[in-house]
Amino acid sequence: MTLGSAVLMGGTFVLIASGVTVASGRDGWMTVLPGFAVGIPYGLMVLSVLLQYPNKNLLQISEILFGKWIGKIIGMIYILITGYYGGLLVAMLGNMYRTIMPLTPLWVFYLGELLLVLYLLGSGIEVFARFSEVVFPVIVIALALNIVLAIPQIEQGELLPILSEGITPLFFGVLKVMPFPMIYILFLAGISSFLPTSKQDLGQLKTGVWRAVFLVGILNMMVVLIQILVFGPRETIRLGNGILVLGKSIEISRTVSGIESLFMGVWLGAMVIKITACSFMVSWGIETVFNLKGLKWNLIVGAVFLGIAFGFTRGPYMLKEVSLVEGYLMFPLTSVWIPILWGVSRWKKGAGNQ
Amino acid sequence: MNMIKDLTIRPKVKQIRKSPQYSFEEDLNKPLSRQMVKEILSTSTDVVFREFFLQGKERISCMLAAIDGMVDKNQLDQFILKPLMVDLAGHPEMAQLTIANVLDKTIQSILPGLELKKISKMGEALDAILSGDAVIFFGESIEALVFGARGWANRGVAEPITESIVKGPREGFSETLRINTSLLRRKIKHPSLRMISLKLGNLTNTDIVVTYIEKVARPDIVAEVFRRLGTIKMDSMLGNGYIEEMIEDNPYSPFPQIAFTERPDVLAGKLLEGKVGIIVDGTPIVLSVPATLTQFLNVNEDYYQRAMVAILGRFIRYLGFFLALLAPSIYIAVTTVHQEIIPTDLLMSISAGQQGVPFPALLEALIMTIVLEILQEAGLRLPKPIGSTIGIVGALVIGDAAVKASLVSPLMVIVIGLTAIASYAIPTFDLGLAVRIIRFPFMLLAGSLGFFGISVGLYMLTIHLLTLRSFGVPYLSPIAPLRIRALLQDTFVRAPWWALKRRPQLLDVEEPQSGGKGKG
Repeated sequence: MTLGSAVLMGGTFVLIASGVTVASGRDGWMTVLPGFAVGIPYGLMVLSVLLQYPNKNLLQISEILFGKWIGKIIGMIYILITGYYGGLLVAMLGNMYRTIMPLTPLWVFYLGELLLVLYLLGSGIEVFARFSEVVFPVIVIALALNIVLAIPQIEQGELLPILSEGITPLFFGVLKVMPFPMIYILFLAGISSFLPTSKQDLGQLKTGVWRAVFLVGILNMMVVLIQILVFGPRETIRLGNGILVLGKSIEISRTVSGIESLFMGVWLGAMVIKITACSFMVSWGIETVFNLKGLKWNLIVGAVFLGIAFGFTRGPYMLKEVSLVEGYLMFPLTSVWIPILWGVSRWKKGAGNQ
Repeated sequence: MNMIKDLTIRPKVKQIRKSPQYSFEEDLNKPLSRQMVKEILSTSTDVVFREFFLQGKERISCMLAAIDGMVDKNQLDQFILKPLMVDLAGHPEMAQLTIANVLDKTIQSILPGLELKKISKMGEALDAILSGDAVIFFGESIEALVFGARGWANRGVAEPITESIVKGPREGFSETLRINTSLLRRKIKHPSLRMISLKLGNLTNTDIVVTYIEKVARPDIVAEVFRRLGTIKMDSMLGNGYIEEMIEDNPYSPFPQIAFTERPDVLAGKLLEGKVGIIVDGTPIVLSVPATLTQFLNVNEDYYQRAMVAILGRFIRYLGFFLALLAPSIYIAVTTVHQEIIPTDLLMSISAGQQGVPFPALLEALIMTIVLEILQEAGLRLPKPIGSTIGIVGALVIGDAAVKASLVSPLMVIVIGLTAIASYAIPTFDLGLAVRIIRFPFMLLAGSLGFFGISVGLYMLTIHLLTLRSFGVPYLSPIAPLRIRALLQDTFVRAPWWALKRRPQLLDVEEPQSGGKGKG
């Protein structure tokens, strides 16, 4: 559950406030949890397919169910989307660090991130899971601290009137949030070959999906809420990385200020987890589709991420690119592939029983 | 010409009488030969051969072999030579003695020793003599008797040097294996305490005892310990450090993966948790496996004090660990890259202190840390009467003089001093060494990349620790994998004894219940 929560969380708290506030205004905080909850049925579908095809990831199951070539095409799309997304995340983190260390060259941040990602990738999924176990609680604590320390800066009245623009904008807000959990579903699709397949373990995994979605959903909802309360809807929309600005504005006892530098270390951990998840997805895809694995291919994945990151160094455009990939590539892939795969597996199971 | 000729003449080296050709591997299993034993050992002047004879039914020529200084001469006189040469003379039993029956009769009715056994191989005889026992040869028989008469000088049981304690027992292990095993036996008086002996070192033949509690220790860990010890093929085994490096999972990591102790109560505690102990003859340090990072930050005093006191002590130690690792790096990062964090008044004060100092904060910190390391190393090597002066020289003379000469800022001296004190709060010397090593890369990262560098360094360190295992147990247990019960029982906090009803979760021991019922 911790690994799933960490991957699901990733760096969502950086961009989410701006996106939902554009769609739903000051009521955007209400759309976060329902938007994340859309990921639950997808997660349960993945685990349901796993029960029928144990010790296989969904790319391998796609080859079994749809045929070799369609399976390979899906695998290629999976590799390309997750690889591109991973590269964009590398760039995004570099841009985030540029806000507090503007004189440091970007390539330094990229190399630092990729060093961690490649070390995790080379150490294996077990070490990655334990890394998430260690880092995720720190992320939660840091977010909670950010929220709590920002309370003195709340401007009463920013939240009111509730539902001033009606319920319709909330649907658009939910649509805005729905792509966020899809990276988690794609990760689940790749890691499924490592998951236990006994009924009891699958039951626990299904519970874990619920818990992960609700935990991350509630945290992100609080992040959006505090930004709307502190900055107001207009400023929240204008700020791309609202959580960073929130950290900058925190002052402790009117003496210590500008502590976003400390929080950045935690956000680095969160983003590294998500980037590493993307790199694992790419490596699983390469292994399934091309039957290639090893240190050399891990390094190539890292190099590709670096190349994509260098191609997108412009701040606001890069953030927009991330949103576009989530909304127009990741979400459609997941929304189409997972339900169809689940449906076909159920049909085949039914046909087999007959 | 004669002078040159003289210079080229090589001096003749006195020929040293060589021992007969002796192959360690082949001859050890050969049948016992009294003559061969004498030939092999007679070149050493500390080996004593006492020849005498017994006039039984036939004349039996006997020889006692022992090493002067390792054997208790009083026992030899009173319990071997006197019974055989004096008490037996004129006794009716003497008339029955032949070479065929002398060994059995000696064991059954002549010699009163507790440790008396027959041997028939060369290796056994040599091993017994070299270990401090006496070997008695009867005629040209291929059998001999080993009489346990070890009695060399030893340090005895004293308070451990490296593990001081306020409230608890003061006895510590010594260099003698049997003393150590007896100290452990006194702590755990249960038949399930196992002590398995083996020898390591082709030339040193060092005695090792592997100890564990059956039904508590995991069988796979015990088997793995024996397997790894069995792979050690060395000439010398002079201490625990040799074994440690040979059997640990990752010898390239600066972090220790095998715990050690000088205290019997600590070893007993570890065995009761399901761990395996390795006692080495000749060293008072006993190893225990598996080991996790959090155990190196716990001390046995925690278990003799009240729970609240123990919790405070652990908090201070963990704080000391992080300060020792990160204090200089944080100071460098804050003063070099992230000055915006510092309140204005403090910033002015720091800036004033750095006036006239020609070095950047990173270089200052590196210089001071290196000087600290030199002082620490010198303090270890100096004789005790002089060692205490190092603190005065280091702190007062060098530190004060450096500040007055504007080579370093006063705040840097405070930070480095705090770092040194914090590192002494780390109870395990090996872990303290690891922190001292890792501190340097962190300072370099902080000086060049600020908090980003520190974060990257911390994550790299975390990943490295996550990849480490100690005999199959993850090194960061019970933090990762998360074991809530173990975390709350005996990691960052120590639960009261009445709450510690089950054995540590991280080892998944065979019998989980350990008692702990109390409080009425």
